[in-house]
Amino acid sequence: MDNCLEVKQIYKSYGNKPIVKNISFSAPAGQILGLLGPNGAGKTTTLRMIMGITAPDQGEIIFKTADGQNNTIPRHLVGYLPEERGLYKEAKVLQILMFLAGLKNLDKATAKQRALHWLEKFDLQNYAYAKVEQLSKGMAQKVQFIASIIHEPKFIVLDEPFSGLDPVNQELFKNEIRALAACGSVILLSSHQMNIVEELCDRIFLIHQGEEVVFGTLNEIKQQYGNYRVFLDTAQNITGLAELAVVAAVEQIQAEKWVIDLKEQVTPEQFLAVLPKEIKIEALSIIRPSLHDIFVRIAKGGLEDETNMEDR
Amino acid sequence: MKQTWKIAKWEITRNLTNKQFIIGLLLTPLIFIVFAGLPIILEKVNQPSQVTYLVVDQIGVLPVLDSLVPEYIVLEAEVTEEAAQAKLQDKKAFAYIVIPENFIETGTARLVYNELNFEVNKLIETGLTSILQQKRLQLTDLDPNQLSYLTAQASLQSQAMEKAKVPGFEQIIVSLVFLLFIFMLIFSSGTMLMMSAVQERRDRMAEVVLSSIIPTDLMQGKILGHFILGLIQLIFWISLSLPAVVFLTDFPIWTALQETNLLLLGFFGIFGYLIFAALFVGMGATMEDLQSAGNTQGFVIMLPMLSMLFIGPVVGNPHGVVSKFASYFPFTSPIIMVVRTLMTTVPTWQILLSAAILILTTLLIAKMAAKIFRVGMLMHGKNATPKEIIKWLRYKDV
Repeated sequence: MDNCLEVKQIYKSYGNKPIVKNISFSAPAGQILGLLGPNGAGKTTTLRMIMGITAPDQGEIIFKTADGQNNTIPRHLVGYLPEERGLYKEAKVLQILMFLAGLKNLDKATAKQRALHWLEKFDLQNYAYAKVEQLSKGMAQKVQFIASIIHEPKFIVLDEPFSGLDPVNQELFKNEIRALAACGSVILLSSHQMNIVEELCDRIFLIHQGEEVVFGTLNEIKQQYGNYRVFLDTAQNITGLAELAVVAAVEQIQAEKWVIDLKEQVTPEQFLAVLPKEIKIEALSIIRPSLHDIFVRIAKGGLEDETNMEDR
Repeated sequence: MKQTWKIAKWEITRNLTNKQFIIGLLLTPLIFIVFAGLPIILEKVNQPSQVTYLVVDQIGVLPVLDSLVPEYIVLEAEVTEEAAQAKLQDKKAFAYIVIPENFIETGTARLVYNELNFEVNKLIETGLTSILQQKRLQLTDLDPNQLSYLTAQASLQSQAMEKAKVPGFEQIIVSLVFLLFIFMLIFSSGTMLMMSAVQERRDRMAEVVLSSIIPTDLMQGKILGHFILGLIQLIFWISLSLPAVVFLTDFPIWTALQETNLLLLGFFGIFGYLIFAALFVGMGATMEDLQSAGNTQGFVIMLPMLSMLFIGPVVGNPHGVVSKFASYFPFTSPIIMVVRTLMTTVPTWQILLSAAILILTTLLIAKMAAKIFRVGMLMHGKNATPKEIIKWLRYKDV
């Protein structure tokens, strides 16, 4: 059996306040699953429940591996890079990596060999015996990343792995994450950098106020949430287009630059068919909105809901 | 248990290779020596310098008086008061004393001074009192034997009813040294333990570590690790001081050790450490740093000092209500029960009751600390309020 993580109807509350409300998803081996949501949506709590740091009030989390099915977390098989992360300041790099690998039941010799291998791969070979306080932020982040994968985990949870990284190192991390997925690990990734998520994740789970908003591939989500958007350059005034049955809104963003939002389910062909011939088009592009736009729309919608709740 | 041991080992190696720890290890005995030696040095330095008093002795007792006061008080004979006065004005003496002819009847001598020195005056007064008493006794025509018989001092010879049960001087010394060790263990290891929990939060390591092991293992590992570190410290210090005691003093250390109830000391020592360790590690998990400790946290840190308040009343009345209370109350019993057994014979049932209360409270605190620890470790950026801590204690399972 391939590795697979299944989250079934998990619910968690602190006191009377529900944080995560009956969410379910599954993450198969070899895929990168993006867990997205605005701040306070319940992402970290969900990840902590998966990591066995806190327990769900209801529901179950199943880890399937070649050896069978675990309802409790196989701690030596999971790797975790939390959002709130650090390293013991006074300790040495290699010392920390070996300690954390030891907690994952790796023997000393293997731990040392792998730690040195990864340090070299990340161009940190000269820092193995340096104290953590001597490292730059990016270097420390690389060490934290190594610590989360040194034991070759089957389930990897990465919470904001790219925050604070320069583009070169972002690329390095992306490649390593892809390689880990290709080796058959289950990867759960949480990030606010939508461009990276779009690029990296096979499937996306969007959570808001503790509930599932959408779960699917990027295309599925765009189909569900992404009305087409038209960027049109023309010297003419085209506000009248708002009268068309296929158009939701027309907005001038600059002189001679217009944005037209199409209504749900309207295809580009349908729009072009009804576009008046007398409009002199300088440039035209029709695109699905980015994940970023969808995210912002959902997050803002949520905020409006909350305001409404308070008004009531 | 394996994971607990991994954490303990990490705490031990991390500290043993830490400069601060090593400096502390070497510096503490040095500080101890300095503080023990300082009073002796101060006494030497504070040796009073020579003071000169003139004595206008009209009854011929100066040689006797001179033999009764310490050497640094120089008594010089002066024939007349006027001459003495003149010398005093020239600052050639601190003061002059006139012992008048009628001294034996009145018992009064006069002192005129440039500089008032209470200590010297008291010593001279004592000397004069002694002379006065001798002279007056001589007037009663008693012979010298009768005189010494009359003025002999009383002595109090003490003997214990049950020799075996009341500890001797040597055992008291061994036990007191042991109490000092327990105290040092609680304070140095307890504080280090709390620091270690605070550091785990500050360095944002808790979440990474807790994805590999359960919070109870992390907490137990820290408590065990710092207990062993404390023992390493103690053993190091004992191995330094033991040869000094054996070779430099004639204190019968081996017999004293054999006669001391080491089982009792060991039990109260270990549980004394454990109860405060659990408390401290739980508190550490609620704090962002030691400087910003709130009132509640400050109170907990000072809790081991509570025993000090009770030592006076317990020594004064080992069977009193205060003594009994303090030897049952789990935050003072580790020290106070040991002190009580030094002062008197404590019934076995009382020792067992105190031990039972201590064990149960330690388990309860450890359970509460574990709850606080597992939530507190994951909080970042602020100190927990007492209200929050109570809320955490109510969570069924985190």
